[in-house]
Amino acid sequence: MSRDQSHPRARRALAALSLLPLLAAGVAAQEAAVVERYGPGPAASTFGEPFQYLFWLITTLVSVSFAIVLVLLLVPVLRDRARPGHKASYDHGRSLHDKRFTAVVSVIVFVVLDAWVLVVAMADLRDGYWKIPPPDAPGVLKVEVLAQQWAWNFRTPGVDGEFGTADDVLSTNQLTVPEGRPVSLNLTSKDVIHALFLPDMRLKRDANPGAVNVAWFEATRAGEFDILCAELCGYAHYQMHGKLHVLDQGAYDAWEQEASRLAVAAFDTEDTEAHWAWAWQE
Amino acid sequence: MSGDHIHPEPTTFLRKHVFSFDHKVIAKQFLWFGMLWLLIGGVMAMMIRWQLANPGQPVPVLGALLFPRTGGVIDPASYNMLFTMHGTIMIFLGLTPVLIGCFGNWCIPLMIGARDMIFPTLNMLSFWTVFLGGMVGLWSMFVPLGASEAGWTGYPTLSTTVGTQGTGETLWAVAVFLIGASSIMGGINYITTIIRLRAPGMGWMDMPLTVWGLFFTAVLNVLFLPVIGSAMLLLIMDRVFGTAFYVPASLLTGGSGGDPILYQHLFWIFGHPEVYILILPAWGIVADLLSFFARKPAFGYKVTVGAMFAVTVLSAVVYGHHMFTTGLSAMLGESFMLLTMIISVPGEILFFNWLHTLWKGSLRLTTPMLFAMGVIFVFGLGGLTGLYLATISTDIFLHDTYFVVGHFHLTMAASALFGAFGATYFFFPKMFGRMLDERLGKLHFWTTIIPLTVVFSTMFVSGYSGMPRRYYDHTSADYLKPLQHLNVLTSVAAFVLGASQLIFAWNFVRSRWWGKKAVDNPWEIGTLDWSMPTPVPHYNFKEIPVVHTGPHEFSHPALKGRDWIPQTEKLPA
Repeated sequence: MSRDQSHPRARRALAALSLLPLLAAGVAAQEAAVVERYGPGPAASTFGEPFQYLFWLITTLVSVSFAIVLVLLLVPVLRDRARPGHKASYDHGRSLHDKRFTAVVSVIVFVVLDAWVLVVAMADLRDGYWKIPPPDAPGVLKVEVLAQQWAWNFRTPGVDGEFGTADDVLSTNQLTVPEGRPVSLNLTSKDVIHALFLPDMRLKRDANPGAVNVAWFEATRAGEFDILCAELCGYAHYQMHGKLHVLDQGAYDAWEQEASRLAVAAFDTEDTEAHWAWAWQE
Repeated sequence: MSGDHIHPEPTTFLRKHVFSFDHKVIAKQFLWFGMLWLLIGGVMAMMIRWQLANPGQPVPVLGALLFPRTGGVIDPASYNMLFTMHGTIMIFLGLTPVLIGCFGNWCIPLMIGARDMIFPTLNMLSFWTVFLGGMVGLWSMFVPLGASEAGWTGYPTLSTTVGTQGTGETLWAVAVFLIGASSIMGGINYITTIIRLRAPGMGWMDMPLTVWGLFFTAVLNVLFLPVIGSAMLLLIMDRVFGTAFYVPASLLTGGSGGDPILYQHLFWIFGHPEVYILILPAWGIVADLLSFFARKPAFGYKVTVGAMFAVTVLSAVVYGHHMFTTGLSAMLGESFMLLTMIISVPGEILFFNWLHTLWKGSLRLTTPMLFAMGVIFVFGLGGLTGLYLATISTDIFLHDTYFVVGHFHLTMAASALFGAFGATYFFFPKMFGRMLDERLGKLHFWTTIIPLTVVFSTMFVSGYSGMPRRYYDHTSADYLKPLQHLNVLTSVAAFVLGASQLIFAWNFVRSRWWGKKAVDNPWEIGTLDWSMPTPVPHYNFKEIPVVHTGPHEFSHPALKGRDWIPQTEKLPA
């Protein structure tokens, strides 16, 4: 039988291919045992939940699509190998049936892969990243972020809620914000482009020199979180880290009182370097 | 009309092998040049992976030679230079010359039945311009303060004198400009040749899909390389003559200043089509190879061409998805998100046409076929993960992490490289008159695709875990320390991947001079390039052939004794 000739090779190919997922599963199990943290860790802002939902929605859609591609690739490899007596079908794929198939699959792909994700994402964006609170709205903490090679400078208005006054709280690489209140950010840079990356808040925004960029987030739990730079900014890019301290409202009020008191005590009208507050962007 | 522009066969060594007008010689020049740079860029990738797996440990073997001042340890500045030059070299000096320079030159005249390119002098100039660009790039690595360290994207103000002082960055911009000029020359030549020099009878829809891929690439080259050229010129002016196109007023001591975001627009207007510049020739080659080795007509030829055309057009209007965190307005962001997602429709059509071509075929799993099917696997993985990055609300977290690195390596790097490997194994017998060793070829394929999948899949995990790209030492952040084990795994797979390329290098060199002699048409293909004797004579076609049949007429029921038909024969009734 001519078919038998292809069997050992097909079997070997099948064996090799079935080993791949096994190998991947083994490696994944090994990794899971060693790596303490897979994925971005528990979110600490209101952006966390929609991000996670969308990430797994896309993962599901993409995995199913890729599985379909793999099956359609493997079936001909195992079934339609060249062998004596076997002839390929003479099919140009230009019949009406084929055109309909292409059209139907295109519509399905557009609706399922694109439109579905797009609709969810647009709703998320309008409720999330793009719903930047007006800076004058009650309860909004305004923060000015001034990036430089290689540090983060933060300025909050202090107890009086006004920038450019003696009680403005300035800090480097340390940002303290209250839990459950919107934090509105204005970002710029002294030198090159940086990007404020708050992984636990699921937020990233560029700090461009010569322009003010806007972003916001609302922390949902207290704790200490990381601040990273995500845009290549030169030699010590990898060391441009800071800490984000999220305090509950009571602790934050106490902290702000003390910080503003210290700021007033240390205020030096001659030190113009300290006065980098800018016209607030809305 | 194509017989009139012939040039006499050269007699001197210089005219025959160095300053040659012959597209076949120029193709081989591009091939050797590109492979040499792929080797250099590949070694750089190995060093990057070494640093990520063993931060601050001396690089074995090469370390003492390359980083003598630090005892073989890669310092942060050198690390930045390594990934900058790795990206620049692989894209501009590796993949572009091999895929477009070599296979464009080799395939277009032979496949459409022409005696040479329509502008042989421009063709020669194109190679020597990219060669000059390569030399400037090489030079940039040996000047005081070293090579460019602003990333292959070269964002100002880091790439202006605000961020980098050395001449390395200036020379980098000059090199990119020169390479761009070379691509424009090639593009004009390819477009004109395909329009003007098709053999009688060869309509647009009778061309092999390889030629279509190269045609669309040439169009993109001519349209968008001038944009990167302009961006580089402005950058050079900023660096050398003290202008301020990209430097804002806040960083100047006087004057009105410019805008660093301007560069990002210019760069990505070019940069996104560049992805398709590299992938379209690979897609064309893959579409042909799948039909050739499935012994079946290419499924939905016209639809495939239409889908490639749609991708070409769409590639020009999606560049904003690289700038979702830059500060685009909401409306602009959403428009780019929608346009980007629409690319999945022509992309999906191409995939189904390729898979349909295989369906009920008679598959010959030769090495070129394995690499062609490898593109389906690798591009499937890479293309689908693009959905996470096209979606703004997931991209905001994943932007500039290793997720992006995994994604674009699978799409523009691995898929393009697989296309190039498939084409090399396929065209080698006609180019050099000998066969590449099939056993080594298959070994090369499996030892490439398995570690490659591990390398870039693990990058998806580390990116999803928030590991930023272009970090010299991610263990500097507590947050990223748990990912060290994963990085070791990625690096080990990368070293296996790097080592397996030596199998290819050995196979190539050995087969080039000592391989099995190839017959004229070893793969039994009907396209015009395989109708010629090996080695191909100087004028290619003694008489310009007349084309009667499409390029993919395999397994016609009336064919007796063979399942293929030359394009110069009429199909049996």
